[in-house]
Amino acid sequence: MNFAFSDDQLALAATVKDVLRAHCPPRAVRDAGLDGDRTPAWAHLAKAGLFGMLVPERYDGMGLGVTDAVLAFEETGRAALPGPVAETAAAAPVLLAGDPAAASSVLPGVAAGTTIVSVRLGDQVYAPDADLVDLLILEEDGELHAVPAEAVRLTPQPGVDPVRRLFAAAFDPSPGTRLAHAGPGALRGVTIAVAAQLIGLARHLLETTVGYARTRRQFGAAVGTFQAVKHQLADVAIAIDFAAPLVYAAAFAADRDLPSADRDVSAAKAAAGEAADRAARVALQVHGAIGYTGELDLRLWLARVWSLASAYGNTGLHRSRLRSAILGTPELRRWP
Amino acid sequence: MDLDFTRAEQDFRAEVRAWLAAHVPDPPLPSMDTAEGFEAHREWERLLAAESYSVVSWPREYGGRGASLVEWLIFEEEYWAAGAPGRVGQNGIFLLAPTLFTTGTAAQRDRFLVRMARADDVWAQAWSEPEAGSDLASLRSRAERVDGGWRLYGQKTWSSRAGYADWGFGLFRSDPESARHRGLTYFMFPLRDVTVRPIAQLDGEHGFAELFFDGVFVPDDQVLGAPGEGWRIAMATTSSERGLTLRSPGRFLATADRLVRLARTLNPDPVLADQVARAWLDAEAYRLHTFGTARRLAAGEEIGSASSMGKVFWSELDVRMHTLALQLLGQRGLLSGGAPDSADGGRWLDGFLFSLAGTIYAGTNEIQRNIIAERVLGLPR
Repeated sequence: MNFAFSDDQLALAATVKDVLRAHCPPRAVRDAGLDGDRTPAWAHLAKAGLFGMLVPERYDGMGLGVTDAVLAFEETGRAALPGPVAETAAAAPVLLAGDPAAASSVLPGVAAGTTIVSVRLGDQVYAPDADLVDLLILEEDGELHAVPAEAVRLTPQPGVDPVRRLFAAAFDPSPGTRLAHAGPGALRGVTIAVAAQLIGLARHLLETTVGYARTRRQFGAAVGTFQAVKHQLADVAIAIDFAAPLVYAAAFAADRDLPSADRDVSAAKAAAGEAADRAARVALQVHGAIGYTGELDLRLWLARVWSLASAYGNTGLHRSRLRSAILGTPELRRWP
Repeated sequence: MDLDFTRAEQDFRAEVRAWLAAHVPDPPLPSMDTAEGFEAHREWERLLAAESYSVVSWPREYGGRGASLVEWLIFEEEYWAAGAPGRVGQNGIFLLAPTLFTTGTAAQRDRFLVRMARADDVWAQAWSEPEAGSDLASLRSRAERVDGGWRLYGQKTWSSRAGYADWGFGLFRSDPESARHRGLTYFMFPLRDVTVRPIAQLDGEHGFAELFFDGVFVPDDQVLGAPGEGWRIAMATTSSERGLTLRSPGRFLATADRLVRLARTLNPDPVLADQVARAWLDAEAYRLHTFGTARRLAAGEEIGSASSMGKVFWSELDVRMHTLALQLLGQRGLLSGGAPDSADGGRWLDGFLFSLAGTIYAGTNEIQRNIIAERVLGLPR
């Protein structure tokens, strides 16, 4: 039992963090929500290996597991990195790996950062950032299809997040688009990646809000001196601190294909979603009226929390699965 | 990151499990807050100690097994899963002993630790006073310098197990000119020299007591650390109380598993079922979190104020789990163990009442949230 990340795992996350600090400042996220670059920092992140982490080595990737990659995904959340990150880096490698023909034609480009992928799977009815991609992986009548972007008819569905934009996607299924089935657990990787991003978003929101509470003065004192404010922020810190281990353990369970993996993934997504939701709620409350405006970048992180909390099963769906898994399993085993 | 247990860890678990299966008392021991129950619990501690199970993480020379933190966590998981008795010696083992190891003299360690491990001496803590609860630094009990030692005066309260325990430890103001955190000294004293008045608790038992000191003499060799350094020394101890040592996940995992089993037999509506599943997962989150903490401690890191996060988390989880059990049981849940229809011998009710103390002792959760905000997050005081 060694519940700690290795030096390699920490180094990968640190590299991604450095790249994001240099090439994805809050201004880049803001620009992505206007008419600016919607995939800022992607070329640099590709060089750092972000998109090849989960791609098998025979397709020019790093062949890593979700456990190796989970902290790097957390960093992309912290920076609110625009673009279909989890879809390209976590969903595509798993979904395509079961189909050698598709894998060999697509995955080298994914690893190199030249092929961008969006997906519409499971309970998701829209594909995020589908207007940016080269390939869509779409579920239709229980079958998976890999469809080149030019063969998909997109309808924008504008919503709360100006950066992670949603699209309805229509196409003509054919034997030529159909993918070999990716097997059970195909959604685990992308769900964990998004859960990790939610943890990162929550960490950023907490840090930013603490910074604001230290400097904003009312009644002659920094608002962060008031216990009513302190206790809300303490509760956010607790929620994050106890959600993150569930995300990391789910990554381990998915890599090992443990019998508990689906339950662990649901636990990760539900806990991360709730922690991020609390962080967002408290961030807005502590910022007060200025937080309720477009003046601050805060709104971009809030919107991403709402968007990702509903991605690949919202909290309610995963809580429902957990209820069945925990009360319905005859023997709950935490250890051998 | 490797969440598999090593071969050695698995063997240790199997050994502990087998021993507990053969030795855990059935029926359970009477409450440790009665004279009869206290002695029964002392005998249980001696049985544990004979196999070096009472303090597995201590060095062998003091009655332990030199177990790693992870092995200690495994021991605790098995201990509570087996339904083994509460630890009558826990205040000494988990609050005082860590300080004896770091700050005590070799003579003090030799004199006190082995007897503590065997429950020959059961220790009670003497922190709070009638006017010094969460604000411990306002304490007024005092120590006067005399030839060869000190005389203690004043009153302590909420002293767990003091009604039947043998020894006490606590802070006294040894410098009359001092204020707040300065001028305090850490003393160890036999309770036979102290006037003890047991106090009935919410559960009707006399789990804690008031202590009255009327010039009790304490020789110099029962001062822990340097005179005047008591606050710093005691804070290291309370950090243990909030941190890994006093509340290992095993206890909450066992409660969560019992709660799930109870819920399955009662087929609850989805609202309660959801809360049961959530509580089970929260216990799992606390377990994983603690394995992470154990790893950091083993690597030589300090946990410090971050231990306050664990204290808030486990204490509120414990209340939630027991409240849920009582809701699932309905009216039967509120029956005492002696009632003909009591559920599980009144264990859920006893556990519920006990859980309500958790958000208060070792620093109320309001104080913990202040600590998190100020010392972990860096908000201004």
